[in-house]
Amino acid sequence: MGVEPGRLSFSWISSAESTKFVNVVKDVTATVKALGPNNNFKKAAKVA
Amino acid sequence: MLGYIDKIREISKRLLDEGRVDMIIGFRKGTILMMNEPCFVKNSGELSTLVWDSNCGINLANYLTDRKEKIGIVAKGCDSRNIVTHIIENKIKREKLVIIGVPCKGMLDKRKVAGMFENGIDDIREDDNVVRVKSRGVETSLNKSDVLQENCALCIHRNPVIYDELAGPLVEEKKDVDRYADVRRIEAMTAQEKWEYFKDLISPCIRCYACRNACPLCYCPTCFVDESRPQWCGKSQDEIDTRTFHFLRAYHCAGRCTDCGACERACPVGIKVRQFTSKLNKDCLDMFGWEAGVSPDERPPLDTFKPGDPGDFIK
Amino acid sequence: MSDWEPKIASFLCNWCSYGAADLAGVGRMEYPPNIRVIRIPCTGRMSPKFFLAALTQGADGVWVSG
Repeated sequence: MGVEPGRLSFSWISSAESTKFVNVVKDVTATVKALGPNNNFKKAAKVA
Repeated sequence: MLGYIDKIREISKRLLDEGRVDMIIGFRKGTILMMNEPCFVKNSGELSTLVWDSNCGINLANYLTDRKEKIGIVAKGCDSRNIVTHIIENKIKREKLVIIGVPCKGMLDKRKVAGMFENGIDDIREDDNVVRVKSRGVETSLNKSDVLQENCALCIHRNPVIYDELAGPLVEEKKDVDRYADVRRIEAMTAQEKWEYFKDLISPCIRCYACRNACPLCYCPTCFVDESRPQWCGKSQDEIDTRTFHFLRAYHCAGRCTDCGACERACPVGIKVRQFTSKLNKDCLDMFGWEAGVSPDERPPLDTFKPGDPGDFIK
Repeated sequence: MSDWEPKIASFLCNWCSYGAADLAGVGRMEYPPNIRVIRIPCTGRMSPKFFLAALTQGADGVWVSG
């Protein structure tokens, strides 16, 4: 569809798995950062 | 396929006279060439308006949602699968329907035919496999298989999957059809190429919503485009909004679309609307082994959870 | 451009992932600040609408956790 696969991710994290949560956040942030800003899909800024 | 109309009229007359149905939904000739209109016949005296030929591309299941009367409906292969989907989704009761199944060999792509005759078409007639087009006094014969709608050329469900009466003998289903060659071609592109491809595909879109209106699956009382709090999708022809509309509509039809082609047929600017939904149909087939509307007894995969469901994309 | 930080819309389910996030906070664990948490009652609430809307409104990524 034209959106890079890395931009959407899924995970199962239970309430007790806070370390896993932190790891997944770091992972996802690194992946998205590597892809660069989302310029394609953003709507043009609303003119006041 | 052409002789079916007598049988359709005969069955319809019997159903109306016996009171088994309150109304017959079928096709009648439209006001311009190659366009047949849906018609609702309540009175057996008007049955002579019913027609059946290769211009009956509209999906009549579109008119069934939430109806309370007893209805006799003329259904080709794809229409019957949409009727099954409606039954599964509780939009119509099976007991209210008498389905007049019509095995279909494919519908003509009116744009393709019109595009071949730059001087306009005066008249068009068809025999079983040949279409005779008269343009400026010259008659040309075309092979029907060359001018079929794209989805009809790839169809593997020509016979209705559910019916109470049959208007003609069952036809042989095509085998060894590669239905997703187009999809694979797009899958092979990079993200940037895909972006550009879809940008070109939807650039003519005028947001008329004809595709949504023609689609039997799009029956939401308030479509997501009409929601304003929150507003998911603007109403203008802004590129991003148009893209959102088409992608989101395709996702709402995921696992339910029967590839009837009504959307592509309805589009006034000739967009290949099926390119959005075919990828999702392929995915459903690959991931869940599911084809929409084939059996009224199975729940769709997006409705149910089975332990074997694909989940390797989840961390 | 190296000081650009992505904005990631995170849909966390109330019972599981949101609890994990909470626990990470209680435990003072450090993690990148790029996620913008949206609490949903369950991932059953998730819909492609949310993903597309997030992207059109300027998110750089979407993360769904159940």
